[in-house]
Amino acid sequence: MLSVSQLGKSYGDQQALQDVSFELAPGERVALLGANGSGKTTTINSICRLLEWQQGTICFEQQDITKSTDYMRHIGAVLGGCRNVNWRLTASQNAEYFARLHGTSKKQALKTITKLEEQLGLAQYAKREVGKLSTGNKQKAALLSALAHQPKLLLLDEPTLGLDSQTVDELQNIIIEQSNRLNQGFLITSHDMAFIEKICTRVIVLDKGKVIYSGDITALKEQLYHFEMRLTLSQPDNARLNGHLEELWPNHAQLSSEDDQIIVQYDSPEQAFATVNWLAQQAIIPLDLSINPLSVETAYRTLLSREVNP
Amino acid sequence: MSFSALVANETKLQVYEMKQYWFETVSSLVMMCAVFAGLFYGVKSFTTPGDGATSLDGLVFGFLLWIFALSAYSSITKSLVEDNQKGFLEQLFLCPQGITQLMLARALVEMLWSMVFVTLLAWITMALTGNWIDLNFFYFYLLMFISSLSLIGLGFIVCGLALNFKKVGTVAALFNIAFMGLVAIDALPLNVFTLLPFTAGASLSRDILLQNEPLNLTHLAIVATNSVVYLTVGIYLFRRLVKRAKRLNLIGQY
Repeated sequence: MLSVSQLGKSYGDQQALQDVSFELAPGERVALLGANGSGKTTTINSICRLLEWQQGTICFEQQDITKSTDYMRHIGAVLGGCRNVNWRLTASQNAEYFARLHGTSKKQALKTITKLEEQLGLAQYAKREVGKLSTGNKQKAALLSALAHQPKLLLLDEPTLGLDSQTVDELQNIIIEQSNRLNQGFLITSHDMAFIEKICTRVIVLDKGKVIYSGDITALKEQLYHFEMRLTLSQPDNARLNGHLEELWPNHAQLSSEDDQIIVQYDSPEQAFATVNWLAQQAIIPLDLSINPLSVETAYRTLLSREVNP
Repeated sequence: MSFSALVANETKLQVYEMKQYWFETVSSLVMMCAVFAGLFYGVKSFTTPGDGATSLDGLVFGFLLWIFALSAYSSITKSLVEDNQKGFLEQLFLCPQGITQLMLARALVEMLWSMVFVTLLAWITMALTGNWIDLNFFYFYLLMFISSLSLIGLGFIVCGLALNFKKVGTVAALFNIAFMGLVAIDALPLNVFTLLPFTAGASLSRDILLQNEPLNLTHLAIVATNSVVYLTVGIYLFRRLVKRAKRLNLIGQY
C-alpha cells in the first residue's frame, strides 16, 4: 500500500533523512522508532506531504503521492498530539468537519462518528468543546477526527503522549480493532515501547536519519540483549575486575560503566556464572550486584548505542 | 469534494463556532456599533450645519466600507494565523482539494457572513444615529464582492508570510490602519491610487451609492482588473511561500 523508497532530506549540511526505505501493507501496524531528532517526524511529515524532500519517492497504491490527486482522501493523521483539532468545537463536530473535508458523505460520516465516539468513550462528552476535555480525551478527539473518514492509511505521531495507562490500553484496542476490521494500515511513532510492542508487528528503527533496523519485532528482540548485570565493587576490586572483563565475557555481551557500576548486557542467564565464579575465587564481595531482564525499551536503546559504538 | 461542498462545510464550521461562542458573536457586533456611534457623534460635533449631512453620510458609508474591507482581508489571514497557533493547521493541509481552494472557500464564506453582519451593522448604526442613507444593498454588495477579491489576494500573501515567519502581527495591524486610507482615497478616474487594492472599488461604490451616478462600465472593468491581478498575484505568492515553508519544514511549527 505505502512504499517509501530511498527518501532523502537535508537542511544545508545537516542530513535529516538518508536513503530511508520501507513498505507498509494494508492492515499492517508498523512502528517508526528512534531517538529525538532521528527523523521520525520528518518521515511522517513527508508522507503527509507537509514537507518537500530532495531524494527518493513515496508511492501509495503504486502511485507517486506527489502526482496523485486522490492520495489525500485516503490518509488520516494525528500529528503533534491533541493540538490537531479545533478546540472551539466538540469532538464530533471536529470529526464531522474533517470527514466532510475528505469527501465522506454526511450520512456515512455521522454513522462512523457515532460508533467511534462510543468506542473511544467520548459519547458522554458529546456537548463539550475539545478545549474543555482532559488531555487523554483531547487525544481521543484527535484520533476520532483522523478516523472519521475511514482512511486506508493512518499516521500517528506520538499518540500516547501525556496519556494515562488506562487510556493507552483503550487506544491500543481501537488501533488493533480498526486495522483488523477495516484493513487500515498504521504507521506509528512513539517513545512508548510497551505500547509499540503490544500493537505493532513490525518496527523500523531510525538513527540520525538512517534506517538501522527494519523487520519483525520478535526478530529485533532476538538481536537485542536480554539481561543486564550491574556490579558495584570497591575501587581496587573494580580495577581488578576491569582487567578480566573481556576474558569473562568473550561472546555476545556489551560492557559499560556508569557511576562506579560495571554494567554487562548479555544474552542468556548462564553467561553470568563465569563472573560470579571469578568473584568467589578472588574472594571479592560486591557492594551491590543485581541481575535483571532487560525491558524492550532498554534493549532497543542498546541497539542505538551499538550503532554509535559498533 | 466539489468547491460548493467545501463552501458548505466551511459554512457549517462557522455556524458551529458562532453558536458555541454566541456571546463573542453578539459582543463584537455591539462593540462595532459602539465604536461607530463614538465616531459619528465625534464628527457631528465638528461639522457645521451646512456640510453636516454630506460628511455624516460619508462617514457612515466609509465605516461600512472599512468594516467590509477588514472582513474580506482577515477572512483568511485570521483563520490561518489562528489555526497555525492552535496547531491544527497541518490537518487543513491534508485537505484533498489543497490549501488554496480551502482558503478560497473559507474567504467566500467569511464574506457572505460579512454581508449579513454589515447589513445588520448598517441598520443598527443608522438607527442609532438617526442618519439614514438610502443604500442600494444589491449594488453595494456586488461592488464590494468584486473589489474585495483584491484584499483576499493581499490576505493570501500575509498568510504565506505567516507560514514562514510565524509572527506577522505588525504587518496585519499595519494593514488594518491602511484600509482606513484605502477606503477614503479617490481612485477613479484612473490615477496612481487606482493601482492600490480595493481603492477603485471603494471609489466606484461611493460614486454610485452616495453621488447617485450611473454605473460606468469602464470603471467597473478597472475594479475587476485590479481584483483579478491582486488575487492572482496573491495566490501565486502564497503557493511559492507554501513551497518554501514545505522545503524548510515550517508548516505547523509555531
